[in-house]
Amino acid sequence: MVHLAHLLLKNYHGGHVAIRLALGGCANRPFFRIVAAYNKRARDSKYLEQVGCYDPLPNSHNEKLVGLNIERIKHWIGCGAHVTKPVEKLLGLSGFFPLHPMTITNAERLRKRRALKAETASEEETPGDQ
Amino acid sequence: MAGLGAPWWRSLWRRAAAPLALQRPGRALLWSRGYGQDAGSEADKKESDVTKPCFMDELVQSLLSKMTGLDLQKVFRPIKQELKPPTYKLMTEKQLAEATRKAIEEAKELLKMPPVLSEREPIDDVLAEDRILEGTETVKYVFTDITYSTPHRERFIVVREPSGVLRKATWEERDRMIQVYFSREGRKLVPPPIFKDENLKTVFREDRHEDVLNLCIAQFEPDSANYIRVHHQTYEDIDKHAKYDLLRSTRHFGGMVWYLVNRKKTDGLLIDMIQRNLIDDATCLINLYHMLHPDCQSAKEAKEEEVYGVDLIKVFMKTESKKVGYIELALQAYQETLASSAAL
Repeated sequence: MVHLAHLLLKNYHGGHVAIRLALGGCANRPFFRIVAAYNKRARDSKYLEQVGCYDPLPNSHNEKLVGLNIERIKHWIGCGAHVTKPVEKLLGLSGFFPLHPMTITNAERLRKRRALKAETASEEETPGDQ
Repeated sequence: MAGLGAPWWRSLWRRAAAPLALQRPGRALLWSRGYGQDAGSEADKKESDVTKPCFMDELVQSLLSKMTGLDLQKVFRPIKQELKPPTYKLMTEKQLAEATRKAIEEAKELLKMPPVLSEREPIDDVLAEDRILEGTETVKYVFTDITYSTPHRERFIVVREPSGVLRKATWEERDRMIQVYFSREGRKLVPPPIFKDENLKTVFREDRHEDVLNLCIAQFEPDSANYIRVHHQTYEDIDKHAKYDLLRSTRHFGGMVWYLVNRKKTDGLLIDMIQRNLIDDATCLINLYHMLHPDCQSAKEAKEEEVYGVDLIKVFMKTESKKVGYIELALQAYQETLASSAAL
């Protein structure tokens, strides 16, 4: 088997391969491809390999579909690819990575905000009753 | 490799679907590889004589294929395809015999029986509970592993619920996701309404049992609840109206016989066989019955007395059947026709 990844990485000085989301689709209809590409390339331009897909709009069963080619993701990470934050969060939700700290932080912030809103709502009610 | 561990019955999709050539290696290769669990359990069953025979045992399959028959005219009748003008060939007797032999081999391939499996156990396995995420999302995320070379049965498909629970996907979700990412011809994402009970009745009234069964094989997995339900309803309807000839010489006949013999509803089929003068088939049927129910009285009598042919049917009729009168009448009619044709 010909090992091409080494050649792909050897000549790219100062940059790195990234696993990131490339936007596609139409107006008001986004669709992301999870893609291994050179870091400096444009977001939607030529990539090294497509390694998954992510549909941000839920389908008729209220699900967001994410396809991940785990074998190739493992290969690119093994070759030293960086993973961008949205992809890290997706992989964390899937269970392949541990949960991203920002996911947890955002969840806690949302919870606090909702608790605060509920408190202020109940405070407004009780003086209103009185 | 796609073939490794792929169930051997993957090769059987015919008129309603053609298997993706890339993903599935040659039919012979798949057929020789055992379906993991079944192959193992079959081996155990063959070693211990006490347990009952499986659908895929060679002896059972040979009996079933004998009963299915090989009507070339019916197997190769025109399917819906592109209209082409017919080709005529001039052949010698030897070439004709060769062509018929090849046709018989191809027919045997087409008559390979789809598998009969028990219903699959529902999956409910929780991989992780992250209740912190509760309330952040209103939608579930379904993650599918789209590695090309994993067999579909071993693919990882997990669901992250809005409550934060990470669980394995249910069988229905699995089938849907695999159809989305690796679609197969003839299979729809949403099962067509023909498989609903009311519509099945309409189909049965029009005698289109075989078409429904072909569609069912293309649409559902053999161990799914829908597949088993549709097949059982079809067999029940055929048994109720004695329309056994609709499935004779098709690949569904073996499955139907297996279903009837397991539930001891063989009387109608036996009468039909005697009326069509298929005494060999009738003896095959009774042998199969004895293999599957070795404790019944007729099996014991048959073992003691070593009966064959019409006598075996008589023994079976007296001990096991519920429609004794009908079978006696049919046998009498058959023997009269035999006598009259012998006299002529």
